Amino acid sequence: MYGLGLGAGLPLLLNQTSAALAAQALQGTSIEKHPNRILVVIELSGGNDGLNTVVPFGDAAYYKARPKLGIPERDVIKAADGFGFHPSMVGFERLYKDGSLAIVHGCGYDHPSLSHFSSMGFWHTGVPNGGESLGWLGRVADETLDASQRNLIVNLGTSQSLAVRSRKHSPLVFDDPTRFRRDGTDAEKQALAELSESRTTSNATLDFLASTAHNATESSDFVRRASSSYRTPVDYGQGGGLAGNLQRVAALIAAEMPTRLYYVTYQGNNFDTHVQQADLHSRLLMYTADAVRGFIDDVKRLGRGDDVALMIFTEFGRRVEENGSLGTDHGTATPMFIVGKGVKGGFYGKAPSLTDLDDGNLKMTTDFRRVYATMTDEWLGCSQTPAILKGQFETFKVFA
Amino acid sequence: MIRGSLRSLLVVLLSSLCALTVPAGAWVDPPDDWKGDLSPIAASEWNYQRAAHLIERAGFGATPEAITRLAAMSPERAVASLVDYEAVDASALKPFDESGIWDPGMDPFPPSRAEAVRRAREHGEGLGEKVLPAGTQRRLQPVVDKFFYSLTANNIETQRLGLWWANRMLVTPRPLEEKLTLFWHGHFATGQNKVRDYRMVFQQNRMLRANASGNLRDLLVGILKDPGMLVYLDNGENIKSHPNENFGRELLELFTMGVGNYSERDVREAARAFTGWTNDVLTYKFDAAQHDSGDKTFLGRTGPLNGEDIIDTILAQPVTGEFVAGKLYRYFVREDISNDVRADLGRSFRASGYQIKPLMRRMLLSKDFYSTPSVATQIKSPVHLVVSTYRKMGLSAVPTIPDFGRMTGGLGQTLFEPPNVAGWAGGRTWITPATLLQRGNLFRDVMFPDVTGFRPPDRQMSATDTRVGERIAQGMNITEATREGDAESNKMVDRDEDYNTRYGGYAGNLLAFKRTKLIPRQAAPVDVTAMMTAAHADTVDKVVDHLAYRFLSVPLADKDRAVLVSFLRDKIGSSTVRPSETLESSLRELLYLVLSTPEYQLG
Repeated sequence: MYGLGLGAGLPLLLNQTSAALAAQALQGTSIEKHPNRILVVIELSGGNDGLNTVVPFGDAAYYKARPKLGIPERDVIKAADGFGFHPSMVGFERLYKDGSLAIVHGCGYDHPSLSHFSSMGFWHTGVPNGGESLGWLGRVADETLDASQRNLIVNLGTSQSLAVRSRKHSPLVFDDPTRFRRDGTDAEKQALAELSESRTTSNATLDFLASTAHNATESSDFVRRASSSYRTPVDYGQGGGLAGNLQRVAALIAAEMPTRLYYVTYQGNNFDTHVQQADLHSRLLMYTADAVRGFIDDVKRLGRGDDVALMIFTEFGRRVEENGSLGTDHGTATPMFIVGKGVKGGFYGKAPSLTDLDDGNLKMTTDFRRVYATMTDEWLGCSQTPAILKGQFETFKVFA
Repeated sequence: MIRGSLRSLLVVLLSSLCALTVPAGAWVDPPDDWKGDLSPIAASEWNYQRAAHLIERAGFGATPEAITRLAAMSPERAVASLVDYEAVDASALKPFDESGIWDPGMDPFPPSRAEAVRRAREHGEGLGEKVLPAGTQRRLQPVVDKFFYSLTANNIETQRLGLWWANRMLVTPRPLEEKLTLFWHGHFATGQNKVRDYRMVFQQNRMLRANASGNLRDLLVGILKDPGMLVYLDNGENIKSHPNENFGRELLELFTMGVGNYSERDVREAARAFTGWTNDVLTYKFDAAQHDSGDKTFLGRTGPLNGEDIIDTILAQPVTGEFVAGKLYRYFVREDISNDVRADLGRSFRASGYQIKPLMRRMLLSKDFYSTPSVATQIKSPVHLVVSTYRKMGLSAVPTIPDFGRMTGGLGQTLFEPPNVAGWAGGRTWITPATLLQRGNLFRDVMFPDVTGFRPPDRQMSATDTRVGERIAQGMNITEATREGDAESNKMVDRDEDYNTRYGGYAGNLLAFKRTKLIPRQAAPVDVTAMMTAAHADTVDKVVDHLAYRFLSVPLADKDRAVLVSFLRDKIGSSTVRPSETLESSLRELLYLVLSTPEYQLG
């Protein structure tokens, strides 16, 4: 019944519901190698300028191509082998020194599209230059997670990302937890909870809808309460969107939500820095690095540090040469990041040449699906990785 | 004599009453062996329930009165009334009332703001705006303003176009024409956000409508020469020296054959055949200099093939008939298609020379279409959900509070903005826990519209643009007004002496608001009381039964019916329904509940 625990006070309700949800998660997912592991994927949309994120300060060609936008060597946060982080990425510096940040050079795909839309679609589906309709994380869930379990995928965003579109699972998609709710008077909501009870009929679609509706009623209450009651001493920095969303993820992990795949977007097309990018990009990177560092600290504090890994991507990097508006135009290959306590930190893959270019753009050195494969195979332990990614991709041994 | 006419009067009365308030038990299950049977159903098997299913799928649902009219015909006549729609006069439908946002100087539109600025520097003008004299501050500002104007104005005009189309779906006397057009829009997905020109979007919409039930070859040639599609798939960059495979790949994979039925080499050879297919703004253009006229080998055929040769070669493949017919079947009949049905439909589709109309007629008349797995097993798309609700309410215009585009967009479907080249995945992908709650919530907004708090999306600026406007109004100069956040970032926005992008965004919005026609805003003129009075529903039970009958495609379980009955009884404090000041509000609450049920998502 809908009224369960409503009068019983928040902590009790959370405990009851989370126990029920956790019990669900345990049942049926035990066939997995690592049933407690969580993957968080962060999308930086707009095309992040990889060269000013992981700066090749040891390469004179970088400063030649970026006379105005190049980050002076003295400012770069040095990491290794002539590469370092943008000076605003103090958060990444910390993670790198802790050995929990892996950087994969030169990620991209053959025949790169310079359209945000097409390229993001390729990253979402994991099928470059194809018309796949399901997302790669959706397929991960379809292949490896028990479809009778709810809330295994959470997507924080205004709309459902193609990346989590699944055949069998229904991702929990919400942006503002306070708005993830059923509208109406108490009497209306009471009636609707009764009308949304799960059932078994001869119509499978109706059963699916009823079970989703039932879940929505239960989950929206759970999510709203988990978010509003969550308090943490960890500082996620100032970056509104991403920091807030990662804190919501931490709140759900703290509340023992059974979710295995979280998908978080940096709102808007922020990283599309065609013009006057220096200051804007610096802020975006600072927000990102602070939020990620905060999130990793927070999950450690919650005692779940060993169970959480995070992957960061963008739909493309930017052109090597800066443009005439103190910005950069759409490009190709760009680094990806893998973060977590279980990560073997450091650099992976080969950095693309800054002089041997394809029409002014970097030639990718790492098919991004190798990083996807690393997350699915090494981290989540999915033996079906080649089927999910529709090909065999060598992993990076990032998770020892 | 008297007794006879009394009896017939009684029969008429009873049957008209039945038509309006059929009890839940009257649902008739079709025989099991109808599943997979493509032979036509008999006149004796035709009834209200089946007519309702037909108009739900071949259109956007209908009022009980309109369904009753369909049910009174033979099945052949009913299906023909939908399929042979050219015979139906549609001259009363309003044309799209264009705002006229394009000046001649805006064509051809530059691919980026950076490119617009570059061209303007070179030519002293751009986008129809002159660069200001040397020495003037921000001399490129008019061009930058105009660039942002165009983005916003095209977005608004596309919203208006979407509303125009939704109204057409609502009032058209040819519902299948619009349903098929919507199908092809998803099949040949093209999005305004990339094309950035509503005229191309509109032109494509008209082309799809004109060919919606015609011949697949005409549709394919039409779409591959369509400026919107050529831009969307970057075929302008598909040139002899540098073939771009996108176009060829989508043609094979999404439009005609499906993966696994051709090789990568076929994709490359098809791309070569389509080199030089480009557009001059709104017109298809064949650029012979960029066309590769050399020999190609495509699906086993060799020669100096051109684009139309590729299309004909594709149409000669049996798999093409199966792929396209199968997709139509999955859209109109049901998600799961058996291999036998696919082969049968594909064969007859190809044999007919790819005529869409006979295929539609066959599917819509088939026993399979009326079999249990086909009926009320489809999840309504957001556009279908909203339009059909208004149709079943008997509205004659789409309400604009709440906003139609926002409603469907929040559920994952914005007309003219499909998520990617593959179109809307449909089916269960429409449903997430949040969208399912939202599917109900938005009808609460229809029943209880927030008229005073409503903010029209066609006149909304971002928070940043709004702040710029407020500061300009306070008398600040552009540099001061565009200052955002910390002092450092402010310097950057205004650093280029030739223009200020943030001001450009603001000024572009203002100009777009001025030059696009305002969407008139009105809430739905729903009158549930009148609906109930007309149906003689004067008890809470009859009200619930009538609403279920009018809006639901599946019978309500007794338990759920009881929940609704007791909700209304508690609300009005009686089992009898009498007009009163508060009745309408109670009925609207009840209707909100009906429209929020899991059952209501099924069509």
